[in-house]
Amino acid sequence: MSDLKTITETLISGDVEALMSQVKEALEKGTAAGEILANGLIAGMDIVGERMETGEMFIPEVLMSAHAMGEAVEILKPLLAEGETNTAGRVIIGTVKGDLHDIGKNLVSMMLESAGFEVTDLGVDVDADAFMKAIEELNPHIVGLSALLTTTIPAMRDTVDRIVQSGKKDSIKIMVGGAPVNQAFADEIGADAYASDAGSACKLAKAMLR
Amino acid sequence: MYDRMQELNQQDFSRVHESAMDLLKNTGIVFNDDEAIEIFKHNNVKVEGKTVFLTEKDVRAALEKAPATFTVAGRNPDKSVAIGGDDFVFVPGYGAPYIIDAQGEQREAVMEDYDTFCKLIHTSKYIDMNGWMMVEPSDMPPETVHMDMMLSNFLLCDKPCMGSPVSRQGAKDGIEMAAIVFGGKEKIMDQPVSVSLINSLSPLQFSDEMVGSLIELARNGQACVVASLIMAGASGPVTLGGVAALQNAEILAGITLAQMVREGAPVIYGSTSSAMDMKTGALSIGAPALAKNTNVTAQMARFYNLPSRSGGGLTDALYPDGQAGIESALALSTAARSGINFILHSCGILGSYIAMSFEKFLMDEELCGMVRQMLKPIAFDDEGIDVEMIKKTGIGGQYLTNPKTFKLCRTEFFLPDLMTRMNYDAWSAGGKKRIHEVADDKLSQRLAKYEKPDIDPAVEKELTEYVNRRKNA
Repeated sequence: MSDLKTITETLISGDVEALMSQVKEALEKGTAAGEILANGLIAGMDIVGERMETGEMFIPEVLMSAHAMGEAVEILKPLLAEGETNTAGRVIIGTVKGDLHDIGKNLVSMMLESAGFEVTDLGVDVDADAFMKAIEELNPHIVGLSALLTTTIPAMRDTVDRIVQSGKKDSIKIMVGGAPVNQAFADEIGADAYASDAGSACKLAKAMLR
Repeated sequence: MYDRMQELNQQDFSRVHESAMDLLKNTGIVFNDDEAIEIFKHNNVKVEGKTVFLTEKDVRAALEKAPATFTVAGRNPDKSVAIGGDDFVFVPGYGAPYIIDAQGEQREAVMEDYDTFCKLIHTSKYIDMNGWMMVEPSDMPPETVHMDMMLSNFLLCDKPCMGSPVSRQGAKDGIEMAAIVFGGKEKIMDQPVSVSLINSLSPLQFSDEMVGSLIELARNGQACVVASLIMAGASGPVTLGGVAALQNAEILAGITLAQMVREGAPVIYGSTSSAMDMKTGALSIGAPALAKNTNVTAQMARFYNLPSRSGGGLTDALYPDGQAGIESALALSTAARSGINFILHSCGILGSYIAMSFEKFLMDEELCGMVRQMLKPIAFDDEGIDVEMIKKTGIGGQYLTNPKTFKLCRTEFFLPDLMTRMNYDAWSAGGKKRIHEVADDKLSQRLAKYEKPDIDPAVEKELTEYVNRRKNA
């Protein structure tokens, strides 16, 4: 148990090297991979999420913990039993057609990954066709649409319309975000959720799939 | 380095200097103190009654003796400060009779307010020195309140502090108390532990209290700011050029007396002259004239190789509002950027010195932190530029997960305590708090965490006994 506590603390500190060796050590001592994942790593990321919300942890620190988490999971993956994965859900995310801004979208993407989501990032200037193609292939739980320019938010509406027309809307939650977007706009175009920053996007995504 | 704000060029320095020499030689300046007159006579200065006529030779001799830099020791030696050169210190507001509270109500300041400021200064990340008379406590007997303030300075805060220049006796009390704290007068004779504010009485006079204090403080090795506060258009010329010449004469006369009292007495060249508001007749310290004169003061002090003093977060606004923020930021950043060494009134002032505000104090404190950060040099060495890292990240990459970002995310930028950086939704959800409201919240948290700094109980006893003895005398 104390090993798991150490793992949690190391994960929070963002020390990738130390975390990997501690995970290996715990496995050698016979701790089950699922146990390490649930009570060491995921428990740690929960704390990281809380601390980000209160401002105790800064974004680069959260991302470093997330990176450490990813590396540790790679060690555990082959050893996990069926159903013991860390996947909180599948997400596809992209900046909509006509918009090349991606820092906000990347941040949301990394935050979601750190919370255990399997994220496929479609990049920038993504048109409705490309979103639909990815939806067909990956069967995601959540589709995230990002925009910075006010001129590109009509592309957000078009993409939502296409998803609705395809009949897949029932199995997909659509999240929208970006500086010109607000809750009223999200409601108007029929998106399921709007988040004003990366931390709350992550929290909302978890809440919607619970 | 190019800066658009350089009020004086080489020729201007000479004109201001020569005008001041002309005034001192031909018009003279009044010192309302018998000992001062004796000292001038003893130094072969022409005197008529209380009017003293100084020559350029007298002034030059004094300037040669005055130190360009000195340190002021704190009760906690780690908090001692350097005055002069490239260094600068932030010192709190001074002399306000009132408090304007969070509701915008004005009331007379009391001793408890004074103590609260001492506690805030002790716990401040950005204020380097404690002041003196941040507010004038109205609930204490005026004859002895200078000792109550000095006692609080020493007991509630361990940073270096300002001294008491209320009168000759008031200055002596401050010196005696400092001697108790620092282990004897001989210990502070060559190591100043206080900086006192000596103001001229413009135009061309010094009052008896100020001269008496200046003599006692200089005699005992304590530092003095010799400052002029001219209301341009009222107590001095309406043009800032004339103000520069007149204040220069006053300041140099005070500094000359200090050097005649004790060779090498630490002095600071100071001014907070500004414009009179032509509609109301009131002093305006939010006016651009104040910032311009601050720049003049810094330049003239450098011309004489002396440390300089100006105001800091100054405003005419009566509430910590937008006006207060604008005026204070302009005045304080101009002082720091112009090279002022001793930035008095850095925090808390409202209403042209009439009041202190706790909320404004915290806002100004944040401003001090921001200005200090602004003036920290950027590193352009290999570590600072790190072109290899930029190449490695490449076109369209990101630096969010770069180890360097992780390593420096807490130290590279200024971390605000009060400034809002959240988006509208988060701000709205938090109650749409404006900065003075955030400051009000932080104030109570900060005071709740305050701990009195350690002091030798024997020293505390001796200090308290000194004050009691003097009060009963």
